[in-house]
Amino acid sequence: MRKIGSRSFLIFILTMAFFAGLAYHTVNLVFHAAEWVAEPMSTFVPESGSLDYAGKVIDRNGVVLAQSVGGKRIYNEDEDVRRACLHVVGDDSVNIGTALQTVWRSQMTKYEFNGSFIFGTGLPEALKNKEDITSYGVDYTLTIDSRLQKAALEALGVNRGAMFFYNYQTGEIVCMVSTPSYDPMNVPEDIETNPDYSGAYINRAVSSAYPPGSTFKLVTANASLNEISGIEKSVFDCQGTEEIDGEKTVSCFGKKAHGKQTMKEALANSCNIYFAKCAKALGKERMTAYAEKMGFNSNVEFDGVISADSVYDVTDASDYELAWSGVGQHTILETPVNMAMRSAAIANGGTPVMPYYIESVDGAAKNKTTLASPMMNRETADKLYEMMDYTAAVSYGKDYLCSYLDVCAKTGTAEVSDDGTAHAWLTGFCKDAECPLAFAVIIEYGNSAQAVAIPAASHVLYKAAEIYKFQ
Amino acid sequence: MNETVELIVFALRIAVPVLMTIIICLAFLSLRLGQRDKHALIALDDERKKVRYPVLYWENSLGRSRGSDIKIADPTVSRDHAVLLRREAGWFITDTGSKAGVYVNDQKTSGRVQVYVGDKITLGTTVLTLHRADDPTEASVRKKIKPAKVRKTVPCGILLTLITVLIGILSLEGLLNTGSFAAVPHAAIFCAIMWVFYGLSVKLFQRRNFELESLAMLLSGVGVVLCAVHDPKQAYTQLISLVIGIVFFCFMIWFVEVPDRVMKWRIIIYISAIGMLLATLVLGRTVNGAKNWIFLGPVSVQPSEFAKIALIFVGASTLDQLQTKKNLFGFILFTGACVGIFFLMSDFGTALIFFVTFLIISFMRSGDFKTIILAVAAAIIGVMLILTVKPYIAERFQAWGHVWQYADTAGYQQVKTFISSAAGGLFGLGLSKGDLQYVFASESDLVFGLASEEIGLIAALLLGVVIGGFMIYSKAVTTTSRSAFYSIAACTTGGMLVFQAALNIFGVVDILPLTGVTLPFVSYGGTSMIACWGLLSFIKAADERTYSQKGSIKGSF
Repeated sequence: MRKIGSRSFLIFILTMAFFAGLAYHTVNLVFHAAEWVAEPMSTFVPESGSLDYAGKVIDRNGVVLAQSVGGKRIYNEDEDVRRACLHVVGDDSVNIGTALQTVWRSQMTKYEFNGSFIFGTGLPEALKNKEDITSYGVDYTLTIDSRLQKAALEALGVNRGAMFFYNYQTGEIVCMVSTPSYDPMNVPEDIETNPDYSGAYINRAVSSAYPPGSTFKLVTANASLNEISGIEKSVFDCQGTEEIDGEKTVSCFGKKAHGKQTMKEALANSCNIYFAKCAKALGKERMTAYAEKMGFNSNVEFDGVISADSVYDVTDASDYELAWSGVGQHTILETPVNMAMRSAAIANGGTPVMPYYIESVDGAAKNKTTLASPMMNRETADKLYEMMDYTAAVSYGKDYLCSYLDVCAKTGTAEVSDDGTAHAWLTGFCKDAECPLAFAVIIEYGNSAQAVAIPAASHVLYKAAEIYKFQ
Repeated sequence: MNETVELIVFALRIAVPVLMTIIICLAFLSLRLGQRDKHALIALDDERKKVRYPVLYWENSLGRSRGSDIKIADPTVSRDHAVLLRREAGWFITDTGSKAGVYVNDQKTSGRVQVYVGDKITLGTTVLTLHRADDPTEASVRKKIKPAKVRKTVPCGILLTLITVLIGILSLEGLLNTGSFAAVPHAAIFCAIMWVFYGLSVKLFQRRNFELESLAMLLSGVGVVLCAVHDPKQAYTQLISLVIGIVFFCFMIWFVEVPDRVMKWRIIIYISAIGMLLATLVLGRTVNGAKNWIFLGPVSVQPSEFAKIALIFVGASTLDQLQTKKNLFGFILFTGACVGIFFLMSDFGTALIFFVTFLIISFMRSGDFKTIILAVAAAIIGVMLILTVKPYIAERFQAWGHVWQYADTAGYQQVKTFISSAAGGLFGLGLSKGDLQYVFASESDLVFGLASEEIGLIAALLLGVVIGGFMIYSKAVTTTSRSAFYSIAACTTGGMLVFQAALNIFGVVDILPLTGVTLPFVSYGGTSMIACWGLLSFIKAADERTYSQKGSIKGSF
């Protein structure tokens, strides 16, 4: 019996481990309770009430975008600014998953159970110390410029789409707008049912990925410049259509023959056949490797905002589909933020800076400029820089983009259905030292990049020039 | 709700953990007081060497080995020579395969032979004479033996009254919070069951102590009230199961009273348990991903819960059996078969409980760490093999350690538990005031979170403390129990309950993977409730007062 008695020690250890586990849970709970109870999934933070005493949200120029006054959350007095900044700032609910007021809600509200963990959220009203609640949460200052936001909203108009402008030298996001939007002070009652508002909770600049169309030619060009020797100098004769995989043909816009052209001219002409042939010549592995280096098959993360994945997947593609992937068709998808980072990389010698939008929290700087991983080498970046410069000058006209700024750009018209409807893209950057912006603009079903995406982007660029160049 | 009522409810909420703490402290204090001091039951005198060996336990091993209860330094004595044990009829000695044999009054013995005071027991060249413990002999002069002392314990009526008050407070709180009388009849019925059970125990079975039952009643009562405020109909099932559980408990106490009878029944239990599990595998129905339910008309049972009791019957053993039959082959086969069946049922939680229980029993029996390490290694290899063949099993546990990443899918229940526990604080939000009640399995798998949210972290932790306390109590009575069978069974039961509680509690707080086992006594689940009461009988049986009608130990031969 004595032996059995001493062996029972093992079970004693098991019990001690059990108590240790309970203790660990208790410590974990006490330390994280304030954070957990304010989680988006929590029902203990009343959805509209929790911001009643939260801190301010201020734009880069000190314009108050949201604040709490007398236990009520109020947003900027200009309805257009409110609508334009909706996806950046958020509303009282937590419906916009990437918005500041959703991601940083618990920090903004300093949610602390009216004191401590002891009574959880269960302290009776009569015992609550009312004075405690008047302590406001922290203030967030953003890098966003509400004037550009407003301009972008005007430019998008009734279209669905997104704009993303950021400083390619510092990483500051100055403009991030998504439509459809709504007024956070007067949330439409039919928002869940009215088709006009479908997807209104989504910030399309980060959370939507679209076929990139011709803007992807920059990726194919980067790969080709590195992998196919002498390609830059060689000349290709475009016939308007070309058989790729036996019977299937790749064609240029309107089946128009571009004739003899170098890569620079092919990019300016947006020649599909040229880049389709490049993609086919490079093959799946090399195309995938270069695409992944340029942000595909991963997401972008900044200030707690996690973008959708950009996708380049040609695993099961035929040669014909691989060829089309080189011009951003097939199943390729890209987020506007990733595309803007590509232009930033080209403007910045191959390595983009990470975007961010929170300047400071309660006056303390939140971010500093950090480099993302390189997308291409400097030499190629400089070549692409020149090509985009040439494209903007020859194919679009620099004045058409913005007569006060020196803009380099590439359009994309990404077909999304067989009847020819297409998303309209524009990506690029400004050469001007006073206004070093890289951008991506998408207008869903805009059909023509030249006719729709350029004027929209242009509207914001003029505003940027007015603000940063002439003030 | 007006302010005054709100304040009253707030006061009640604070009273709950305070009262629970008092009840638990009193119960364990009483259990501690009820244990006898270690004193000799009888004594063996070696007259030649003038040595007195006090016989301390109900079953004692005699031999040369270091771990023997009565260690005889004589090279002619085998390492595990014999077992001296006490039964209802008196004292017996059993030769456990010794080389030199056991002689009583110079007669060679085989099997179990009764011995009386004054008998000479010869082991090798050593001759021992059986004496009363308080006989003054020449040998006893050297070793003073203290007489037994019986201490006063906490009257169980006080415990039960406190539990009644606690359940009353909880049901009053439920009434004030919900405005419906839903939980009130349940609380009343529960208290009635508890007092009738106590009355019967005292009057019919002449039991003097009721602490273990009180603690189990405390757990069951909290479970019933938690269940009743959310789903009154379900709570009636729970109450019916409680009554069946108590009856089963009483039956089990009777059944295990004679350990030698249990040893004889073992093979039948063995076969019927396996048969029952196989039947479930064939006829059973899949509920929530595990095929471990049998439906008999309106009644549904989980045979795997009863298999836990069978496992302890098969594994535990009396000391003389333990020393003669050392191999664990039959037991290993039984555990292996059960674990295999649970895997086929996709009931991984129970499989794990069985495996851990197996480890505990094997260690209690053999004290051999090597066996344990081997078994664990074999299990790891087995699990790896299963995962390579059926990789989708691993997917069920993919959220483990990363519940926030899977907050909408596989980690939903855990994340909700975290948030709710955080909101609950130390004293809870009040019955029915929480949010976790709307989450699937809140009254069974997530009951710890539900308790934490509605009656507070302290109360929830105390539920765990009671189960841990069962274990510590089992350990404390290991050497005073009436047979090695009870010691092993009690320790193993304690270990099993603790491990199951760990799987349940740590599963929802993401320390362990969520396997969907119940929290003993508290979780909603009829079969689980019945089986837990059945298991409790092993711990109760290990308390030597259980079978002594007057509650005190007097030499009775």
